[in-house]
Amino acid sequence: MNFKVFCATIKKGIQIRIRAYPVSFMVGCILTSFYTILGSYLMYHYFFLGQLSESFELNARTTDYMSYAIVGSLMYQFIVRTCLNVSRTLITELREGTLESLMLAPFKRTSYFLGNMTMQTVLTIGETAVAAVIGIAFGFRISDFNLYHFIVAISLSLYGFFGLSLMLGCVMLYTRDTYISQNTLFAIIFLVCGITFPKEALPYCLQLFGNVIPVTDAVTLMRASLLGGLTDSEFLYLGLQEFILGTIYIVAGMPLMKHVEHIALEQMEG
Amino acid sequence: MIEVQNLQKIYNVKRRQSFFKSYKESIEAVKDISMKIEAGQIVGLLGINGAGKTTTIKMLTTLIEPTSGTYSFDGINAIENPSFVKNKINMIAGGERMIYWRLTAYENLWYYGQLYGIDNNTLKNRIESLLQMVGLEDKANLPVETFSKGMKQRLQIARGMINDPKYIFLDEPTIGLDAVVTKELHDEIRKLSKVREKGILLTSHYLAEVEELCDYIYLVNKGELVVEGTKKDLTEYVYNRKQYCFSVQGMDENIIMRLHNYLISLDIDVEIVQQDDRAIITSKFELSSALAQFAIKENLIIKELYEIEPSLEQAVIKLSQQICREAESIA
Repeated sequence: MNFKVFCATIKKGIQIRIRAYPVSFMVGCILTSFYTILGSYLMYHYFFLGQLSESFELNARTTDYMSYAIVGSLMYQFIVRTCLNVSRTLITELREGTLESLMLAPFKRTSYFLGNMTMQTVLTIGETAVAAVIGIAFGFRISDFNLYHFIVAISLSLYGFFGLSLMLGCVMLYTRDTYISQNTLFAIIFLVCGITFPKEALPYCLQLFGNVIPVTDAVTLMRASLLGGLTDSEFLYLGLQEFILGTIYIVAGMPLMKHVEHIALEQMEG
Repeated sequence: MIEVQNLQKIYNVKRRQSFFKSYKESIEAVKDISMKIEAGQIVGLLGINGAGKTTTIKMLTTLIEPTSGTYSFDGINAIENPSFVKNKINMIAGGERMIYWRLTAYENLWYYGQLYGIDNNTLKNRIESLLQMVGLEDKANLPVETFSKGMKQRLQIARGMINDPKYIFLDEPTIGLDAVVTKELHDEIRKLSKVREKGILLTSHYLAEVEELCDYIYLVNKGELVVEGTKKDLTEYVYNRKQYCFSVQGMDENIIMRLHNYLISLDIDVEIVQQDDRAIITSKFELSSALAQFAIKENLIIKELYEIEPSLEQAVIKLSQQICREAESIA
């Protein structure tokens, strides 16, 4: 890893954000989180009348639905912000006319992407913290906090999200589309990754689909670190699964990105 | 030295036939190009009819790989060692691309310097000298989005020099710039080549620019090399006949007729056209001494006598017309 490129990319990203921070976009993301929490609140209190089935308790490993849904929503916001921005980096360079000058420089792409991921993570943590404060008003309670599990969950989530961002970035750069690809992925994540309800409620094929997206386990791990419900061995097993899945995405994503970069540069001409 | 032999590039592109239907097509953007660029030399790449200039530059900068052909960079196989090449080259394109508008001039150069792995002390000094070189030292801390076109272009030149490249590729560098800024850039390009010994490849739509700056020119058409040489070589290749401007005191139709009768004995195909008080003579032979002798023989006072050197622009236009005619006759 090239630390010069890594640090320079973080610095460049922060300088650009300071001059042109997309405040409305940030507010939009927090609002999405707010609406998801509000929707869950209304359903739970007025539709389910505060009653949870046994199957929910069995699969979610908690009886606190609002905290369950709020952790899911916060993680969802985190994924949307990091994934979206990291995967958009190259297509943004292409649109702003800096892709060629970037590709002319002889540096390793990994440092560039990690720099963008780190910069975005720092910004997203701030936004997620704001959304978490809103969640408290809707009944978000951290009932069984485990710092060790929390650090592991954060690290593995970022690892998995980085891999997912690379793959999404490849799709975006290849299709030169950001809107359809990102929204499709985020809709799928919301449906099959256990954001506001346990994935076990879905048909088996969709559960399998959810299992190959490195968000499902990340959300479960994060919930376990805040709300409990998993034994140490279960946590370790899920953590290992998330690590393997993230590795597969990164190992496949990096060379694929390089290939797609070449295609993008050729498409600029052809 | 950069040396490419028989460079070819085929793009496989997807074309949309209708909303749901598309088909694949192979486009041969560059068919066969061989060229050389030496340090301290400005080489022009001129094109007619979608010549594949930008594709050629992209292959030379290793941004894209050629489909076939060889590319030697200071004796090293450039296709297999793109990182080696990237360290020693840079590219400056026309327009307002290749720089971050939301960063300041200094921040732009600093970021690119980091990408090239330049150590911080060297980078600091280099940025300062480059900003001074392009006259932006007072604007170093202003965001690029507040810059005029000319200032952005000057910053691009500084960016293109950040890694102190041995070879620089200039792709339409003065596009959209006014005459004053263009003149300044021309001086800068000349300095880079002649003072700092950089090898430069220049593509431009402005033939006068190529004519003014380039030591050697490659003319390509539809991805193939048509002719190469100095400006003089190119014009001689196109114009196999010489033109003279001849004017004497009291020039009239009578003198023109006598001149024609005199010259026809030397060249049966000689053509003379009267333009005001001048005679424009076209011949395949060297006639300057014959014209002087005619004036002496006729007791005429010469006002003007010189060979008209066709401009590169005229030569390229004529060549382009010739190529079009040939293509039509084949069709």
